[in-house]
Amino acid sequence: MGGSLLKPVILIGIVYAILKFIVPNIPGSAPLPSSLIFLYLMLTTSGIVIFATLSGESKDAFWGPIQRFLTGENIGGLQVLRYAVLLLFPLIVGWQTYSSTATSDAPPAENRTIHPAPPGEYTGLSNPVSKTPDAIQQGKGFYAAFCSPCHGGNFDGKGPAARGFNPPPANFSDPTTIAMLQESYLFWRIKKGGVGLPIEGMPWKSAMPRWEVELPDEWIWKIIMGEYDGAHQSPRTWE
Amino acid sequence: MTRGMQQMKWGCAIAGVGIVCVLAGTTIGFAQESVAVRAPMVKGTLPADDPSSAVWGSATPATFPMSPQVHWQNRIQEATVKDLTVRALHDGTNVAILLEYADPTEDPDDSAAIEFMVGDKKAHFAHGQPMAQVEGGPVNIWFWKNKDGKGVDMNAKGFGTLKVQGHQDVKAKGVYANGTWKVVFTRPLATEHPEEDTQIATGGFINIAFAVWDGKKDASGELKEKGSQKAVSSWWYFRAEAPPDYSGYYYALLAVGLALGFQFVLIRKLKKGHSA
Ligand code: HEC
Repeated sequence: MGGSLLKPVILIGIVYAILKFIVPNIPGSAPLPSSLIFLYLMLTTSGIVIFATLSGESKDAFWGPIQRFLTGENIGGLQVLRYAVLLLFPLIVGWQTYSSTATSDAPPAENRTIHPAPPGEYTGLSNPVSKTPDAIQQGKGFYAAFCSPCHGGNFDGKGPAARGFNPPPANFSDPTTIAMLQESYLFWRIKKGGVGLPIEGMPWKSAMPRWEVELPDEWIWKIIMGEYDGAHQSPRTWE
Repeated sequence: MTRGMQQMKWGCAIAGVGIVCVLAGTTIGFAQESVAVRAPMVKGTLPADDPSSAVWGSATPATFPMSPQVHWQNRIQEATVKDLTVRALHDGTNVAILLEYADPTEDPDDSAAIEFMVGDKKAHFAHGQPMAQVEGGPVNIWFWKNKDGKGVDMNAKGFGTLKVQGHQDVKAKGVYANGTWKVVFTRPLATEHPEEDTQIATGGFINIAFAVWDGKKDASGELKEKGSQKAVSSWWYFRAEAPPDYSGYYYALLAVGLALGFQFVLIRKLKKGHSA
């Protein structure tokens, strides 16, 4: 087989690697469904075929080896590979057909948005309590009493009552929770709880209590201070 | 080179590179870590009155962690039951769900419950309490208490709205042995009251949640766990498995045959084209 076949195969391999391993790691991206990757690879393939057959010479250089390989004429040691390909192709087609008709055995995918947009009236609120050691201390006391059973005395989401809840209580020492959020966002989440989430946050699943029925606003603002201080994080600001 | 010959070459190339693509497609797995109770279909009668029946062996157990109920008032900071093992079976008409959990003492007030959503609307796991931005539906609760020795079919839509239904479709039986409760709930998969009862269609996943009360009394004669003071879970999944369907294998076999035929015809034509 000529080297002219090697290039397309390598190219397809590279495109696959990019789609499979690099794209999902781009911030804000997600793993691509296999059907989409398949589609992209098909597009790449037709691109290569069209390109390779543009001129008469490259056409022959491209098709010649494929044709020789498939008919098995004068390919010597590649005969084994040829049989493997001729055997694998039907098997793979069969497997693809089977997996596309088989009903899914997995529960519905949980595409829960963890940080949906807060209602307008909460954006831009600032903490009205001045940040004194006293206020922080008080906040930590409230946290220990009301929040630590779920979110943990160490702010790690591993409180003694956390285990039965799905999704699990947030881990505040993780940089992807409160460190990414503004104080006003926390105020909304603590006041309205899991049931305050919009539909993409799947409010029916969240065990986060609706604290407005039990705690005055001032306590909530103090808890927010105590929470950041205890978890060694600081709120996100736009300055 | 003839026209037909050229077309053949096209086909052959696409077949070749297609292999690469298909291979690439199949290597992508679909790993998922959600926990669900799966009820296989069994022939013969369901072991509704017998939590120890060997028939339960055909159901795969699912174990769910339980939390003391600290989500709303009145809370409890520690509950007796930490884990709950669930098995389920159905026979095409009725479903049987077996809850199994450790409880050091048998008490008259020991109780357990299963919760479902009703209809198409989502319901919060805590008694279907109202949600601010989503219109919720009611929950259907199947309740069993040791001293009553029966299942009770209930509904709630918000705290303090729990009520016993006018029509009772749920049966329950508990057996206590060796520090373990085994409680079986049974009900028809479908009922005539879709506004109040969860309807279980085979093959589809529905939501399920659990609660358990240790009915032990403390020194002053107060129940240790009662009302909102219990062990709870939030939503997990439940599915009554559809009868086995082999059509996927037939389609796959057909596809293999077609692919083989395609290869055969292609190579034959290529060879002919070559020698011509
Ligand atoms: C019953 C358990 C429970 C208790 C008690 C509880 N939470 Fe939560 N909390 C959760 C769960 C579960 C989540 C994750 C689901 C969600 O976002 O609604 C959560 C999420 C949060 C979030 C959102 C974090 C993020 O990254 O979006 C904040 C903030 C929060 N809790 C603060 C508190 C505070 C403050 C208290 C005490 C006043 C508290 N929680 C008490 C269960 C609890």
